[in-house]
Amino acid sequence: MTLNRVEIVERRLDAYLEGAVPSSESLPPDAPLSRSGTLTVRRALALFEDQVLSRALDVTARELKRLNQGFYTISSAGHEQNAVAGALVRTSDPCFLHYRSGALMMSRLRQQPGSTPVFDTLLGLVAASDDPTSGGRHKVWGSRATWVPPQTSTIASHVPKAVGTAFALSRARRIGLPTALPSDTIVVCSFGDASANHATALAGINAARYSARKGTPTPVLFLCEDNGIGISVETPRGWIQDAYGTQRHLHFFDARGELDEIWETVRLAVMTCRTAHAPVFLRLETVRLWGHAGTDVETGYRSIEVIEAIEARDPILQNARFLVERGAAHPATLRTLVQTARDRVQAAAREVVCRPKLTDRATIMAPLAPHDKDAVRRDAVRVADPEARQLALGGHLPENQKKRTLAAQLNAALADALIARPNTLLFGEDVGKKGGVYGLTMGLAKRFGAARVFDTLLDETTILGVAQGAGHLGLLPIPEIQYLAYIHNALDQLRGEACSLAFFSNGQFTNPMVVRIAGLAYQRGFGGHFHNDDSIGALRDIPGLALCVGSRPDRAVKLLRAALAMAQVHGRVVAFLEPIALYHERDLFEAGDNGWLSEYPPHDEVLMPGDVCIDGAAAQDILIVSYANGLRLSLRAARRLEQEIGVRARVLDLCWLNPLPFDAIAQHAAECGRVLVVDECRATAGGVADAIVAQLAEHGPRGIEIATVRAADSYVPLGPAADLVLVQEVQILAAARRLVENSAFGARR
Amino acid sequence: MNRIAIVCPGRGSYTEKSLNSLPVDHPWVRRADEIRADLDLPAIAELDRAERFRAADHLRPANAAALIYLVSMLDATVAAAGHRVVAVAGNSMGWYTALAVAGALSFEDGFRLVQEMALIQERHGDGGQVLYPLVDEDWRADPVRIAAVEAALASSQGDALHSIHLGGYAVLAGTPKGVAHLLKELPQQRLGGTVYPFRLLRHGPYHTPWLAAVTDEARERLAGLEFQRPLATLIDGRGRQHSPWSGDVDTLRDYTFGPQVTEPYDLSASLRVLLREYAPDRILLPGPGNTLGGVLGQVLIQEGWSGIRDKAAFQAAQAAPEALVVSLRR
Repeated sequence: MTLNRVEIVERRLDAYLEGAVPSSESLPPDAPLSRSGTLTVRRALALFEDQVLSRALDVTARELKRLNQGFYTISSAGHEQNAVAGALVRTSDPCFLHYRSGALMMSRLRQQPGSTPVFDTLLGLVAASDDPTSGGRHKVWGSRATWVPPQTSTIASHVPKAVGTAFALSRARRIGLPTALPSDTIVVCSFGDASANHATALAGINAARYSARKGTPTPVLFLCEDNGIGISVETPRGWIQDAYGTQRHLHFFDARGELDEIWETVRLAVMTCRTAHAPVFLRLETVRLWGHAGTDVETGYRSIEVIEAIEARDPILQNARFLVERGAAHPATLRTLVQTARDRVQAAAREVVCRPKLTDRATIMAPLAPHDKDAVRRDAVRVADPEARQLALGGHLPENQKKRTLAAQLNAALADALIARPNTLLFGEDVGKKGGVYGLTMGLAKRFGAARVFDTLLDETTILGVAQGAGHLGLLPIPEIQYLAYIHNALDQLRGEACSLAFFSNGQFTNPMVVRIAGLAYQRGFGGHFHNDDSIGALRDIPGLALCVGSRPDRAVKLLRAALAMAQVHGRVVAFLEPIALYHERDLFEAGDNGWLSEYPPHDEVLMPGDVCIDGAAAQDILIVSYANGLRLSLRAARRLEQEIGVRARVLDLCWLNPLPFDAIAQHAAECGRVLVVDECRATAGGVADAIVAQLAEHGPRGIEIATVRAADSYVPLGPAADLVLVQEVQILAAARRLVENSAFGARR
Repeated sequence: MNRIAIVCPGRGSYTEKSLNSLPVDHPWVRRADEIRADLDLPAIAELDRAERFRAADHLRPANAAALIYLVSMLDATVAAAGHRVVAVAGNSMGWYTALAVAGALSFEDGFRLVQEMALIQERHGDGGQVLYPLVDEDWRADPVRIAAVEAALASSQGDALHSIHLGGYAVLAGTPKGVAHLLKELPQQRLGGTVYPFRLLRHGPYHTPWLAAVTDEARERLAGLEFQRPLATLIDGRGRQHSPWSGDVDTLRDYTFGPQVTEPYDLSASLRVLLREYAPDRILLPGPGNTLGGVLGQVLIQEGWSGIRDKAAFQAAQAAPEALVVSLRR
């Protein structure tokens, strides 16, 4: 059915151009198409050519699929009026585009000499490894030279980062780190009418309006390409106008009608966004031809009459008619133009099908988590000029202070990062004025200014969107997620967006960030699950995301240094987990022993991925592997183990939860013979225990014995009942005893 | 009907073998000589029919450019008959020929452009061009040679610049001091029996800001040229496409008298666009000599076009019946 419809639409255009009567008037190339308009004949013909090329690419995509040589058929057919936006927006205006952007890309790249958009698109369709955008990883619209970071989003999840980029444009200037982009740059973000209903779209548009309401320049152009349907679900007529047409702090434009009318409306929308530095919502009327994708049988949910009525509104047919009737082109001219474009695309397609594909796993994964250990270490030990540091810290250097808590040392480490790295931004809910719910960022906004340390609105999606946008522009954002449980609200911003960017752009675009996440359980002050979430499985599940957790104050500082360097050097996304219950903990064994405090570590000390920390290095009876609160409980249990049964435990602090330090674990496991993994997170895949046990079982030293202690697979209840689902010291003690006593090696080796 | 592309040669293409290439009674040759007579230049017909090659005459810019233009135009016109020309490009002065081949200038305006530019360039810009290879004997990129070029440019203190990105070669331009620097600093390298670097005879420091004065004079002297929208897509030395439907004559004129003269000419980018965006069945190389055959081969190798990844593969493809690159002369 679909291929037939393709042919029918193609033939209808041909038939029109065969039979069309030329206009009696013939306009010169630089004449406007309407009396007061600005669209000239020449520009209209350029647009038409771009639209026809885009259409020819869509037709070829289906043909390649039919021959099993192409792998992507979501098309731009019917959306080609978006070429107008491609022509009216500068190549230095960042564009975050959805998947029906073929014509927009053709007209955008027309502005870029030397670009080869037709060939590049074809390379993407056949997943060729020399596809310049993704290296054969996905068919995406992207271009490093013209500021189009590729988006894989089909669900408007790119809207928050577009808003973040618009926000960060002026923020970068304000902190004295202007980007190479002109000062009146705007950010374009396109999506469909159905996607406009996604939570992320709503969050992004809301954030833009909020930002504008606060007086912050937020020049983002939301380009909503309204084709009236999302796969098979029709959008109520007028819904986009209803939803966005009358919102305050959002300029609304409705582009429809003939090409010259669309041109003027888009021009006005772009101009408004550029001059007002404010969010603009531009609805562009489109149709969707040939179903959602090549596999979608449209007759399953639309009558043939409806389909034909939509096809009659084919924008290319409409524009051909318009150009002929206005005297902008002779039908024969357009016939040649169309045939030339089709021939070009088909000829180029014959070349791309023999281009090489990705053939090995290592190449595919190369952009996912790059890590040059030496380069990261060099950057991690970066320290500010001593005088600047003295000045910024008011003479109170953290290394000269006595031993302090995790919260205090992290506060100092963040201050050092803000001094040594002028491109850092620190933000989140309550991060600024209040200094964090737990006081972690206390005083930083005052010391470093509200431009660099600031409060955001209460929306994790927006927080991560701002981080992505800032990262795109060369800043080093440190967003805070106030509680681990809240990350789930916005997880796709990490999983589908931030962490996928380097992969799908073959490393050409990155959005570096260190996401601070306060979390894990055992809090005494603030109970209940949502402030004590004990599941990190969702974070460990994200390809390319590095995850570390600082337990002791000095170790947390060293981890933060590595995390920032990984973000800076490789553009990595690093999640920095902070155990809330240990923020203000002072003691290890007894009240008042100050055993959990530590000094500020020297600047050249860093904990890199793969590094671990060991307590009781000389012990060999059992290895206890843990992190965060579990580490403290393990150290307590280890002391009792020795006191009560004379067993000496070596305790390994994992520090990095992704990638896990398997080499170090295996080495210490081999020396101790018995391994107890103490995982304070949920038993079933919420934590790291399964991965460690599986790795030891499959690849670890032979003959070792392994046991685990984990939290219950439950939400965390309020009050003392929490202890019943969380790992307790006595459980660790009991498990260790069992392991030792039942061991084939006997009580002691 | 074949979809063909035409790539017009630059001024380095005229050699001893190029003599006797012209039908001297062709109206174009006659018209060219009328124009040249007004400029006190020797007749093309005589130069073409000279008994022997005289470097001082035949390589003089004002003579070589005219000869090359005429041979290229005649070749292109004949070769294009019966085919569909989808794209036209040129190397350096070949851009002027390309304008005429694509119909953006009449034959006569194209000739005036070539002739006047050669004369103006004879008057401006001390210095010259140096040729150096960037590929090995297999015509694959040689990082050592590439690095040597960048190092020599960097140490020239602004006296040498990129002039033409010519496939597997760098054409560098310099002031007299810059040329001396390049010849001294670039390590001697051999490619296909030739030793590099060498200076191109009677060539100025083209495609650099040192020729800025040329642009003003050219604009003035050639104000009467009538640029038209091309009949086939023109691809310029930045890789920009000028389409028959939306091409802009002002853009063509501004480019021809501006950046084309003062900015590096990126023939590699131009050919890359020609291949990728037009994927022609044949690429015809008109004009005397065969300087662009190898360059095209090197660009095809850079692109991995049709699986061509080295010189041997290119030669094998060229030996096949329907070769992609067709040199119309030797």
